[in-house]
Amino acid sequence: MQRARSLFGRSWRGCCLPALVVGAALWMAASATGASFRATLDRETIMLGEDAGLSLTFEDASPGDPPAIPNVPGLRIEYIGPSSSFSFINGRTTSTLSFNYRVTPQRAGEFTIPAIAVSVGGRTLQSAPLRLRVTPPSAPPPEAVQAGSQPAFLRLVLPKPELYLGEPVAAELQLCLRQDVQSFGNFQLTALPADGFSVGRNAPGARRRVQIGNAVYTLVPIQLALTPVKTGAQTIGPVTARVTVELAGGRRRDPFFEQFGFGLFGGAEQRDVTLVAEAQTVRVLPLPTNNVPPGFSGAVGNFSMEVSVGPTNVAAGDPITVRVRITGRGALEALTLPEQPAWARFKTYPPTVNLDYTDHLGLYGSKTFEQVITPQDAGIAELPEFTFSFFDPDARAYRTLTHPATALVVRPGGATPVPALAGGGSNTPNESAPVMDIVHIKPRLGTLATTTTPLLMRPWFVAAQGVPVLAFVLALVWRRRTDRLALNPRLRRRREAARVIREGLGTLRRLAAAGDSEAFFATLVRVLQEQIGERLDCPASAITEAVIEEKLRPRGLSEEALVLLHELFQAANLARYAPVRSEMELNALLPKLEAALRALQEMES
Amino acid sequence: MKRRLALAVWLCGVALGPAIAAAGAATADALAQFEAANRLYEQGRFAEAARGYEAILKGGSFSPAVYFNLGNARFKAGELGRAVVAYRRAMQLSPRDPDVLANLRFAREQVHGPKWQPARPEQWLERLSLDEWTLLAAGAFWLALGLLAVRQVRPGLASWLRWPTRISVVAALGLGGALGTVWFEQTGRQIAVVIVREATARQGPFEESPEALKVHDGAELRVLDGKDDWLQVGDGRRRPGWVKREAVYVLRAVGGDV
Repeated sequence: MQRARSLFGRSWRGCCLPALVVGAALWMAASATGASFRATLDRETIMLGEDAGLSLTFEDASPGDPPAIPNVPGLRIEYIGPSSSFSFINGRTTSTLSFNYRVTPQRAGEFTIPAIAVSVGGRTLQSAPLRLRVTPPSAPPPEAVQAGSQPAFLRLVLPKPELYLGEPVAAELQLCLRQDVQSFGNFQLTALPADGFSVGRNAPGARRRVQIGNAVYTLVPIQLALTPVKTGAQTIGPVTARVTVELAGGRRRDPFFEQFGFGLFGGAEQRDVTLVAEAQTVRVLPLPTNNVPPGFSGAVGNFSMEVSVGPTNVAAGDPITVRVRITGRGALEALTLPEQPAWARFKTYPPTVNLDYTDHLGLYGSKTFEQVITPQDAGIAELPEFTFSFFDPDARAYRTLTHPATALVVRPGGATPVPALAGGGSNTPNESAPVMDIVHIKPRLGTLATTTTPLLMRPWFVAAQGVPVLAFVLALVWRRRTDRLALNPRLRRRREAARVIREGLGTLRRLAAAGDSEAFFATLVRVLQEQIGERLDCPASAITEAVIEEKLRPRGLSEEALVLLHELFQAANLARYAPVRSEMELNALLPKLEAALRALQEMES
Repeated sequence: MKRRLALAVWLCGVALGPAIAAAGAATADALAQFEAANRLYEQGRFAEAARGYEAILKGGSFSPAVYFNLGNARFKAGELGRAVVAYRRAMQLSPRDPDVLANLRFAREQVHGPKWQPARPEQWLERLSLDEWTLLAAGAFWLALGLLAVRQVRPGLASWLRWPTRISVVAALGLGGALGTVWFEQTGRQIAVVIVREATARQGPFEESPEALKVHDGAELRVLDGKDDWLQVGDGRRRPGWVKREAVYVLRAVGGDV
């Protein structure tokens, strides 16, 4: 068996390997000889606004990089990506590599994509030239719309056939979707030719249902702000767009198939629709040249104006803010603050501007200018009236809004220097023209600082902030202490007694030195009474020598202290009858008194 | 007593005399440099004038006028970004000077492309300088604690002082909050001003990173991050990008040259 297997193995190697080598060689030879290249368009005729697909296909050849496409005027050709396939038919293997491009026409007409030459493996392959016909866009005929044969179509609606130059209007693009369109997406405007107009913002409107002929459509409005910039007959459109609609086809969307990418099998039918809205022509009228107000600066619309001025009591050179709020409908973005020739005695600075729209298209809203002006000299009594002129297209006439003069009090100037305009030189009336340059340099150095360290980072300043905290804490402590004393009469008495004793001892030393024995003993008794009274919580005047035995001994006062107290009281009594004592004798009593007081203070009260 | 007083005055004079004399000399030098730079400016030699104003700043003397004139010289020399930096410095020292505000606004109007713009509350807070906010907040703080202390010491006045105390406490808290915000704005968040004619902000901090946006001379941008020689900056509306540090001037709190 082993031998048989060995024989078989040797036979397989002997027969199959040469066959494979020969087959590969034949395939390579076939590949080398069968290499081909062709260019194809998926459609030969398209409408302006649609795309065509261009494929450069190589069979049994690979050029590596996508071939460069010659420039064709009127066509934009963008590379999308490659795709490849491999087939094995009747024993012949074919590999196909395609480079795909998107061809977008810029205008209608006949175009030729010239022959493309590609070098592959030393050979040059060439494709045939391709012709592409681009027809002008055309809207579906009214019959088709009325019959409901169009799943979607586009209309352009302008509010009026005549406009004034600079008059902004809201045009409406109406995307109409047939009743059976379940949903739509990928809406893309591909062309909006509007040479004589400035196209502004756009905003979707509220959907509504309309009946056109026998068909019911869902109308999806898209509003568009347009402002004419050229006079004469101006055309907008044809507008082209693309949209993907999902048509109800009786089949429901199946999420099971959809997750595998088989939407066509399980869901509604998706269709890409090219939309074309017919061009519209508008007559754009120039603004009238008669009765143009002197301050007219090109504003077209319908506006109202509010003006506020403040402060009205200033020194010459001080700033005054003039706030002008213009509200209404019109080209607010282009609105400028008109020159005010009557403000020649004021220096004007570039205004700050704040624009607030009240609609999505930017046609309604308000524009606020904050203009800083400085009176040049004292004695100016008023800010002259402020005027704003505009052309009202509805009334077909110019209108002028006026804010009356504002009374001012201008005092002689202080230290603030009046700024001068660069290149201005002198104070002439022409200076009220719009400021076109920076304010000139300052001639004075001003107050010099040697450090720019903020106060907040200077240690002394931070430390100084501790002062009020400390003051508050001290006040709080003081208040607590006062309250505690007010609520504790024993403590108050103790402190008062301590004070009386402290002062009494001082007095005793003085009296001893003076040899005034009468006053000395009177003070000594008062000090003892004060201390014993505080200890026994009874009036000081009620304390006599008898208290020593009656109340102090039971409280455990030491025998030594009791003896001292007796001695002191008796010495005081004796002094009444024999008042003359020497300084030495009086001084000798003081240590005894202090010892007695200490013993009393140590006694439990 | 009189002798002691005279001795104290003499000692103070000895101690402070040199400092006062040095300060006086520095002021005189600065004044002379300022006059010379102004003359150069009037002659149209703006770059030289700018160097003159910078010399004053490098000498350690600062005033809104120096920064303002430096901004003008930079502006006239075509260095919009450095002009904006100088005007901002002048505004930090003198935030309500109409000349400074007008020139900063005018310079900002010349800047093309993306730029960061402060929100309205930030603009409002910029009307006072950091030191002014500090003094206001400190004043309210002192007043509030002073009134609280008086109420402790003189309880009889408590009913009279109730509302002033409440108002001063609320004012101290509000002004403290405003001060904190201004402090954070000036020190926590950094603003980079583009000082080259045009700089490419890239999506990453590498030369090879794809371009994110182009920024132009004078554009003020928020600094969001930094890595090596790159700064991530943004205008708050578009996606941020990384620019080379050398293309921008990063504004710190008050101080520094321009």
